[in-house]
Amino acid sequence: MKILKMVGVLVLLACAIIFPQVFTDPTVTTIAVFTLIFAAVATGWNILGGYSGYISLGHIAYFGIGAYAMALFCLHWNIPGGYEPFLLVPLTALIAAVVSIPLGWIALRVRRHTFIVITIAMFFIIQLLAYNLIWLTNGSTGLGLPIPTDWGGYFFNYPFYYAALILLVIAVLVSWWIRNSKFGLGLLAIRDDEDRALGLGVKTVASKLAAFAIAAFFAGAAGAIYAYFVESIYPATIFDPNFDVAVVLMVFLGGLGTISGPILGALIMEPLQQYLNLQYGENGYNLIILGGIFLLVMLILPRGILPTLGDLWRKYRAMREQDTAVQAEEGMVITALPGRVGRSTAGRDESAPTAIAPNQNEPGEGINV
Amino acid sequence: MIGRYLLRPRAFLNSICVLIVALVALSACGSSTTTGTGTGSSQTTAPIKIGISVSLSGDFSADGKALMEGYQLWASEVNKSGGLLGRQVKLDFASDASSTTQVVTNYQKFITVDHDDLVLGPYSTLLTKPSSVVASRYGYAFIEGAGGGPSVFTQGLHNLFAVSPPVVSQLNGFTSYILSLPASQRPTTAAYATEDDPFTQPMIDTAKAALEQGGIKTVFYKVYPAETTDYTPIAQGVVASHAQIVVLGSMLPDIIAYVKAFQQQHFNPEALAASAGPDQGSSFTGPIGGSNVAEGIMYPNGWYPGLNTYQNKQMVQDFIAMFGGTADQISADSAEAFSVGQVLQEAVNKIHSIDNTKLIAELHSDTFQTVQGPAKFNDQGENISAETAIFQWQKGSVVPVLPPDQASATPEFPKPNWP
Amino acid sequence: MGLIIEAIVTGILTGGVYALMSSGLTLIFGVMDIINIAQGILVILGAYLSFVLQQHFHIDLFLGLLITMPVMFGFGVLLEFVFIRPLKRDRTMLSLLVMYGLALVIEGVLNLIFSADLVQLQGWYTTASFNVGGFYLSYIYVFGFLLAVVLLAGLYWLVYRTKFGFSLRASMQNRVAAELIGIDVERISAITFGIGIALAAAGGMAFGATNAFDAASSYDLISRVLAIIIFGGMGSLSGALIASVGMLVVEDVTSVVWSPVWASTVFFILLVIILVVRPQGLLGQAEVRKQ
Repeated sequence: MKILKMVGVLVLLACAIIFPQVFTDPTVTTIAVFTLIFAAVATGWNILGGYSGYISLGHIAYFGIGAYAMALFCLHWNIPGGYEPFLLVPLTALIAAVVSIPLGWIALRVRRHTFIVITIAMFFIIQLLAYNLIWLTNGSTGLGLPIPTDWGGYFFNYPFYYAALILLVIAVLVSWWIRNSKFGLGLLAIRDDEDRALGLGVKTVASKLAAFAIAAFFAGAAGAIYAYFVESIYPATIFDPNFDVAVVLMVFLGGLGTISGPILGALIMEPLQQYLNLQYGENGYNLIILGGIFLLVMLILPRGILPTLGDLWRKYRAMREQDTAVQAEEGMVITALPGRVGRSTAGRDESAPTAIAPNQNEPGEGINV
Repeated sequence: MIGRYLLRPRAFLNSICVLIVALVALSACGSSTTTGTGTGSSQTTAPIKIGISVSLSGDFSADGKALMEGYQLWASEVNKSGGLLGRQVKLDFASDASSTTQVVTNYQKFITVDHDDLVLGPYSTLLTKPSSVVASRYGYAFIEGAGGGPSVFTQGLHNLFAVSPPVVSQLNGFTSYILSLPASQRPTTAAYATEDDPFTQPMIDTAKAALEQGGIKTVFYKVYPAETTDYTPIAQGVVASHAQIVVLGSMLPDIIAYVKAFQQQHFNPEALAASAGPDQGSSFTGPIGGSNVAEGIMYPNGWYPGLNTYQNKQMVQDFIAMFGGTADQISADSAEAFSVGQVLQEAVNKIHSIDNTKLIAELHSDTFQTVQGPAKFNDQGENISAETAIFQWQKGSVVPVLPPDQASATPEFPKPNWP
Repeated sequence: MGLIIEAIVTGILTGGVYALMSSGLTLIFGVMDIINIAQGILVILGAYLSFVLQQHFHIDLFLGLLITMPVMFGFGVLLEFVFIRPLKRDRTMLSLLVMYGLALVIEGVLNLIFSADLVQLQGWYTTASFNVGGFYLSYIYVFGFLLAVVLLAGLYWLVYRTKFGFSLRASMQNRVAAELIGIDVERISAITFGIGIALAAAGGMAFGATNAFDAASSYDLISRVLAIIIFGGMGSLSGALIASVGMLVVEDVTSVVWSPVWASTVFFILLVIILVVRPQGLLGQAEVRKQ
């Protein structure tokens, strides 16, 4: 089973690697680059929002910080166009993460709705700083990035595609590793019941902050790649509340707390948005259709696509197998709770296993790759 | 630990299926947006396709629509007179929703999917800059009329041609006029308020420097964020400064707010000049309460309906025939788009070719005539022969009042009190 | 000094307009635990309704409220029924997403009908002003503020002095317990949602009379309104009023004293500080450990 899973992942990865070689049309690869960038941000965000339950509606602030860091380095260190700026991406991501630490420390002192609003407020503060600290950011005039002049139109997208793909792969690996680690367990515990987790000895403050910074790290890296791809950044365009909401929507669409959910969400939403703009932008139906589709999906698949599909599959399986056979196969501890398999306990969010009392859970629930 | 979270192959298979479907959908969407046949330029009678991204929703939607109308008008004029090099012109529009991401994709699509022969510029500096870079990668000429902030010209692109006058010097006519007034009439104090926008702020700062040098004291200077929603404190600051003239770096929403605030506060400066907003015809006069309210307000512009420039009269007539309304309701954005078309047309006709490389060379070397006046481009693509006239609302319509050689009426100074 | 006083007065008056827009949002949150992210676009919808009434039927803006508010109330109840009621689990986050989708659709429709041209509501009071202590106060700001006070007072009476209000407050405190004592929480929710949207209509009129707007104006609005209700304490009406006035006064005074460029920044920093010290906002209830 594990081998099957590994093979599956490698097949997907291979598809992703050869994708631009097969679909050589630069427009398709352009959309793919944007999609990969957003998928990386979404995956990073999911580590905070999905695992720990702290929904940050302002993480794109770090996307912008990464972008500005990239632009400023290229400007002050006279980096020419070409492959060199890509080497700066880890540095810019680190800067975004470092900046996020004090901000996260402040924001994470509050919970739920207040947290959401504080992250929004911080987003606006950072955007306003980008406008006003003209000596640093050039204000509203924005900054340009080096243009690689020897990469003709048909080659240009390749380095960006692979850079974004590498970033996404790293993000997924980190996300997977965290999910299966003690750290991740702590985060899930925080999500279920923070006070109880604290009582059980989970270092909540450090864990939350780490998740916050990791999400900022990936957002920053993605921002740097984006800025270089688009070649110019302005405070108005790089700190875009629409990006922010879009990333969150992608994660929810695909499935909050799952590993591949954010990627799926990005794969659906980004091309869909672009497609709608292209086909229907002229008569204004694009917003209506996008909103309509979104509404439909959220009403029919409230937990996102992957968890709902997972549920359906589980129900199907449960109808065909017996309790003990399932438990033995999955290696779970047999418990005596009746009517457990195939039934969801009302009111409990099941997109992630409850970490506090695992024995009462359905086996391996909601873990997807 | 890991044993407890054994992975479920079935849910995983779900993911594979969905991911593959998504990948296929992605490529399908790429090919489904192909319009028309592939290489149009090899056949000599097939239409010439021109790709243009316009903002039909989002922040720039009002201007985007006006821009599109200007392009459409130009295309219909060209086609009526036999087309370009004997071939009909077909405009390939796409909406960019005022988004950077979308505009990049749009120009990619025009060039590599639709195989458009030519592309023209979108609305605003913010969108022009990334699009021009995309076009330059493929060697396409990028003529545009609505992205003139200085940042557009700083990346060393050679394919960019901005037909509208560079923004920085647009208020020169106004400042020269104020400084030329006899000492008894000349104002001594001035108030400035501007958005921190790459289009407006440089213009106001240049005007301020010029007026200060001429001895006019700055009693108020504020820069404010473009997304301000409450302009009252700034307006009140201007009012409280009792400045004799007011220079505003505004867009449409702010100037509407200022006019209302000044009316409410019974503040009547001797001169009121704004960088943008009063040029939007009825979109300006409507919300402020009528064109009589606009009396005396000045603004810089490369264009107005009665301007005596190449093809302008015809354009105005045809615009009204095509879209209705009156001459004063025509937005300057439409004239900018039309000028872009004219430059393209003239360049193509001069070299009898639509080859982009040859066009770029031609555009750099010649002078062209547009409804906004002459256009000659320097190395960076700025229009160095553009003369910006200063217009003033007089009795319900706009007339050029400065510089004197372009004026069709004398400037109204001091500005009459609010009605 | 005079400028500062002017700024404070303007801030108070404009704050009234924002209070109208936020009161609906805070009420909905208090009773239903839902962040109605569509509130921004619904305010704009209300503004457009007033616009249509004024332009085509020449009905005065304030009188027009007698039409727009009930219509929007009905619309709100309908929305609650169709989109909120079916959501059973994880209501808070889901409703956020559903309302976002709805907001997109409404924005698209408004764009389609009214195009992107900026409009502003007109009336004799939108430009006329009267002299007070050396500067001029525009009538519309005063009227808008009075409208806010009247409506909020009416709301206060409804919530604290009527049987409906009693049920509403009970539902706010503990949904399950309220159901147990026989309160029809679902019906209360629907009506509350309707009231919230009706308030948005009033706020829309006041906003539209003081600002030029189009469908895209909703984004700025919703972020500010959200900040206001968290600042004031979610579920608290007086909190919304105090927070709105506070926000506008801080911004206007900063604008005058320092620079408009920093006005919003100062407000947001203040917001962050206060929220860290008091996460439930000024007048909100401290978060109780949910059972």
